[in-house]
Amino acid sequence: MKRKDLILNLIGEISNYLLDENPMRLVVSLHQEEDGLHLCILDDNKHTEDELDSMRKALNSRKRPELAEYYGAMTGHDMLGSARLDLLGWQVKHSDVVQTDSGIKIDLWFGGDRFQSHQFTIPVDK
Amino acid sequence: MAAFFNDGVIESLQAFLNLQLHPGRLINDFFAVAGIGGTLLNAAAVGLIGVILVYATGISFSGTTFAAILTMMGFGLFGKTPLNILPIILGVTLSARLVGKKLRDYIIIALFGTAMGPLVSVLFLETGLDLWQGVFLGFLGGTVAGFILPSLAVAMLHLHQGYSLYNMGLTCGFLSLFAASILKAAGLPFEPALVWYTTDILFLKLLIPGLSILLIGMALVREKGKAFRAFLSIQKQSGRLPSDFTDLESPGGAFLNAGLLGLAGSVLVLAVGGDFNGPVLGGLLTVMGFGAFGTHFRNSWSVVAGVALSCFVFSRPLSDPGPVLALLFSTTLAPLAGQFGYFTGLLAGFIHFVMVSQTGTWQGGMNLYNNGFAGGLTAAATVAVIQWYRNNKVEK
Repeated sequence: MKRKDLILNLIGEISNYLLDENPMRLVVSLHQEEDGLHLCILDDNKHTEDELDSMRKALNSRKRPELAEYYGAMTGHDMLGSARLDLLGWQVKHSDVVQTDSGIKIDLWFGGDRFQSHQFTIPVDK
Repeated sequence: MAAFFNDGVIESLQAFLNLQLHPGRLINDFFAVAGIGGTLLNAAAVGLIGVILVYATGISFSGTTFAAILTMMGFGLFGKTPLNILPIILGVTLSARLVGKKLRDYIIIALFGTAMGPLVSVLFLETGLDLWQGVFLGFLGGTVAGFILPSLAVAMLHLHQGYSLYNMGLTCGFLSLFAASILKAAGLPFEPALVWYTTDILFLKLLIPGLSILLIGMALVREKGKAFRAFLSIQKQSGRLPSDFTDLESPGGAFLNAGLLGLAGSVLVLAVGGDFNGPVLGGLLTVMGFGAFGTHFRNSWSVVAGVALSCFVFSRPLSDPGPVLALLFSTTLAPLAGQFGYFTGLLAGFIHFVMVSQTGTWQGGMNLYNNGFAGGLTAAATVAVIQWYRNNKVEK
């Protein structure tokens, strides 16, 4: 898949998830490196701790290459049912979900086999 | 072991070898062709290939692989043989190589894609060519089919958006339409096949309930109360692809769900007076397999009821081969009921039976997942209508 298409699909899935709660503000920030990319998404909705936990669980699920490649092709394509963060979780290298004063902040780092985490702003203690 | 116990080692092996040279187009019940021992040995060999592939690619065992291997074993009772599935797997491997991926990335496509096995058998055995020409053509045809499968599988997934569990059924059915058209144009008659084993054998009746009780026991011993709580949580999932219940809840909950589905399916077949033969056992194994990957009681009962209603309206006895298989395999549409409610499930089941009565002829019986083909078409149509309505309805 071309990188542009991949990014569009990733943004589509995460935006689909957050737009269900109808935020008044949604910010998507993209940072690209040669072997990976960092998406930071912010909204202005309050999310419960239970929801944050389930988001963290889905986004940090164990790696499933057999599902990521085949079913991961659905990421950002199918908007009929509810958004599925596990589709992103199988593809993500690292993720952080935190509640800010105004809403939620989701950091997602994606990359291939040559992904070099030190080139990104991934917290060193993780 | 059951094969050797039933028919003896030599007889089972002989029947197994003979089976490799039998065309496996739908519906060829291997119990009628090769006896119980040879058929069980064949199913075990097909399943073993699946297990070896999973190990070799380094994929962890999960709901997905559980579904894939049980489905492979199930269809090893009526259509798949080690000989006719290997070219398909090779084709998928080559396809992965072409785009710089590993087989593990397409392992699910490779395992379920073996539904195209009869294409290999048809080219090998039914074209009237000399043995070696037939072997070459079958090998080539199967490899080409496997090579195309990954691209089609993803496209078909978008068509029904994950609301039909047997996506490879739709994929293989779509591909088989082209293959069957070419072979029909080349003059192959494609005589309809129906070899259906009707002998009442207690051992075959007890096989699935026995396996189900084993799974239930494993789940309860391993996880105790947690398995039951996970089982209840599974009933709340839509089941839309990909829903790996071992990850979403727990392995024990998934096994408990699979085991109870196996028992319920067996009771259903018994209640409608169906035969416990290769295709029916294959159907039950598939339902059990997907009990870890999308199917559960809450999202499947209305679809099954829809098939029963359709049979009633069109005066088809539920114990006939088509209806009894549709009752089991219609659970491919369970996610529709899980997401959009029981009425949608009932309607989808009703349409599914109408469709599956036709689709087998279209694809010349070369796609073993004929219910997956019909289910995929039904899901695609249903999803298109729902999406159109939701997107165009004026919001008040």
